[in-house]
Amino acid sequence: MLYIHQSTCISPQQTFLEVDLNTVHASSDNKLKVIEPTYEGIPPGILRRMGKAVRIGVGSALPLLKAVSLDGFIIGTANGGMEDCIKFLNQIIQYDEGLLTPGNFVQSTPNAIAGQLGLLTKNKGYNITHVHRGLSFENAAIDAMMMLHEYPSNNYLLGAVDEISAYNYNIDYLSGWYKKEMLSNKELYQTNSAGSIAGESAVMFIVNGDETNAVARLRGIQTLHTTDENSIEKQVNVFIQKHLPDEEKIDLLLSGENGDNRLSKYYTVVESSIGKTTARFKHISGEYATASSFAVWLATQILTTQKVPSHMLQKSGQPSIIKNILIYNNYKGAQHSFILLTKGN
Amino acid sequence: METAALKQQLKEQIISFLNLLSVKPEDIKDDEPLFGEGLGLDSIDSLELIVLLGREYGIDIKDPKEGRKILVDVNTMVAYIEAHRTK
Amino acid sequence: MSRIVVTGIGVISAIGNTVAENRMALQDGKCGISTLSLLPSKYAGLMPFGEIKITTEELKQKLRATEHGITRTSLLALHAFDEAIKDSQLSHDEITAIDTALIGASTVGGMCLTDELYNDANKNEGGSEYLSSYDCASVNIYLQERYKINGPVNTINTACSSSANAIMFGVRLIKAGIVSRAIVGGVDSLAKFTINGFNALHILSADICAPFDEQRKGLNLGEGAAFLVLEKEEDAANKKIYAEVSGYCNANDSFHPSSLSDEGDGPYLSMKGALEVAGLTADKIGFINAHGTATENNDMVESTAMLRLFGTPPAFASTKSNIGHTLGAAGAIEAVYSILNLTRQEVYAGLNCHQPISATGLVPVQAYKKMPLQHVMSNSFGFAGNCTSLIFSTI
Repeated sequence: MLYIHQSTCISPQQTFLEVDLNTVHASSDNKLKVIEPTYEGIPPGILRRMGKAVRIGVGSALPLLKAVSLDGFIIGTANGGMEDCIKFLNQIIQYDEGLLTPGNFVQSTPNAIAGQLGLLTKNKGYNITHVHRGLSFENAAIDAMMMLHEYPSNNYLLGAVDEISAYNYNIDYLSGWYKKEMLSNKELYQTNSAGSIAGESAVMFIVNGDETNAVARLRGIQTLHTTDENSIEKQVNVFIQKHLPDEEKIDLLLSGENGDNRLSKYYTVVESSIGKTTARFKHISGEYATASSFAVWLATQILTTQKVPSHMLQKSGQPSIIKNILIYNNYKGAQHSFILLTKGN
Repeated sequence: METAALKQQLKEQIISFLNLLSVKPEDIKDDEPLFGEGLGLDSIDSLELIVLLGREYGIDIKDPKEGRKILVDVNTMVAYIEAHRTK
Repeated sequence: MSRIVVTGIGVISAIGNTVAENRMALQDGKCGISTLSLLPSKYAGLMPFGEIKITTEELKQKLRATEHGITRTSLLALHAFDEAIKDSQLSHDEITAIDTALIGASTVGGMCLTDELYNDANKNEGGSEYLSSYDCASVNIYLQERYKINGPVNTINTACSSSANAIMFGVRLIKAGIVSRAIVGGVDSLAKFTINGFNALHILSADICAPFDEQRKGLNLGEGAAFLVLEKEEDAANKKIYAEVSGYCNANDSFHPSSLSDEGDGPYLSMKGALEVAGLTADKIGFINAHGTATENNDMVESTAMLRLFGTPPAFASTKSNIGHTLGAAGAIEAVYSILNLTRQEVYAGLNCHQPISATGLVPVQAYKKMPLQHVMSNSFGFAGNCTSLIFSTI
């Protein structure tokens, strides 16, 4: 059993330490970039080396590192330090494989985030980085669930990070995953075109097997690889039957609808199947491989406050009680996940 | 180039190359150890400084261990640059 | 609790395209490290590499894999994956079952295509066919799509310990009851990116590497892939079983981004933890397939940790002097080699160690020999101090 306790989030909205989800910060140039805090606690000697992904990953974890003694770090990131990776690649081309500085190379490895966290805390426990594209966070969460099953009294830092590097953006733009037309994030769901807008975040959770004072319980998580919406429709019902007792119900569907008209069929079948209040989040997070981690963080906020920010509601109407939240997300229409969260006691 | 000017230039280059945020050239003393204490650089920085010497001054240092004997402080670096620069 | 056993293995490396070829080469003490002849790089001729002497085109033809955007990394993975599942005699239904996982690892992914990545990342043209092939996940997504795998799929990247962690993750998925079987492994192909990165860190050797030798000068990069099929013992009743995955542990050294601490806490803890999971005392390990990259740092620290844990370490050797350091594939390839040690009751020579490290006096196995073995340990230690040890045991 996995219980979520404290959490932090650096995102394009006001979410770090002080949370204000009622104000929607606007996108710029079809990108939702994070609001970075001043980082207290990262020694300057280490901070200077960090690319953005490592910086926001480590920065978001810092407040939690002091909260509890951790037994390991379990991180999901699809692209890791991609910016550093391409900077190093640019050096290779520019200097024709000549004299190159190693700093970018060392920081570019996806496990630089988890590795840096281990270094900062001198933590010798389990340290892993999952990089399975749009299911990087989900695999990290499954890993954390297994670790807590194996070591029930341990505490782990479970998290996910992905940044908009100029280079990632270019590659995904060329593939047609981002809008060709300029728009504001506030009109994301009104467009009828392919693609979405880019986003980024660093989300960290302290998780353990103790239900006391837990904010939420991760009751179930399922990943799927398919392009068939009928399969999604079938599987969401199987998932709910498996993880939710008959006497309970889903109170809120948190949907990863991202404004890409090619993907709306998946969200439509799930919304029809669930038939409950649907809230959407990608207009405030943007689209990226680990956006589901932001959704889980949002869900913990909603479970605590018992309120859905109105701009997230697909149709009007706040649920009166929010106990069970189902998150459905997909990445590039091929990697899908269902995550069921229940309010802690 | 005069030694004093070279020292100033080198300090600026070290700061920029190693991305030493919030360090100014005047903060770096000429005889302050670069590694360990003083500026507190580490082994990856020493490799980066070797690249700096190569790119800016045409100095080729193949063995990082030999490099550490040159990279003691600004004074030793400048002395080596003056003796060996090809650019 | 079921024992988790290995029912199929596949490997491709600089010393052979199959398990049988690799074994023969190991027996003969063959070294597959040579001059680069296929990858265009300034380093061809300057440094030796464990290059697989098959062109990417030849791999495409041989494997009938001409899909849009396929990379050398995916092709090498496919080669070893094919061999493993045929070896395990997995049926189509079993491969596509919802309770069959695929857990792979890679550090290079499609970044072996340096020029294409440079152009796409800098938006220089309209976009190459490789746009969705650059990340590490692309390899496993390719295998998933080609084989219609329906169970959980995952990709792990923890640098040099990646595929050892993938094996460990697969074992744990089965033990947790999430899946019934897991195909686990890893791959990496040679790439300008990693060659230049390691060279910038000054840890590549201009000579063929000499693990655990006093005069060692660094590592040689290699390429390759390996996959293993893991099942519960009771499901493998009618199959040949190679070995049990009896122990596993991941620990972190947490000392420096690219080197291990002198005391070797990371390696010590991963080896100790693996023994605990296996329920074994140190003296039960008959042989260690060491990480043994031949860098000054790794071999000294690994030796220190072995002495700390074992007192008198068992026989050990590194196979990186046969095939080079295959990064994301290393854990899996060396797991296959450890299984060969066990199933054949033999150990292979650790090449090029002429003078042991003076501070430790430890000498790796010097010549091929038959040896009774019940438990073999395999170590993989990566950047950021990520250390994983696996133990394989006879059934």
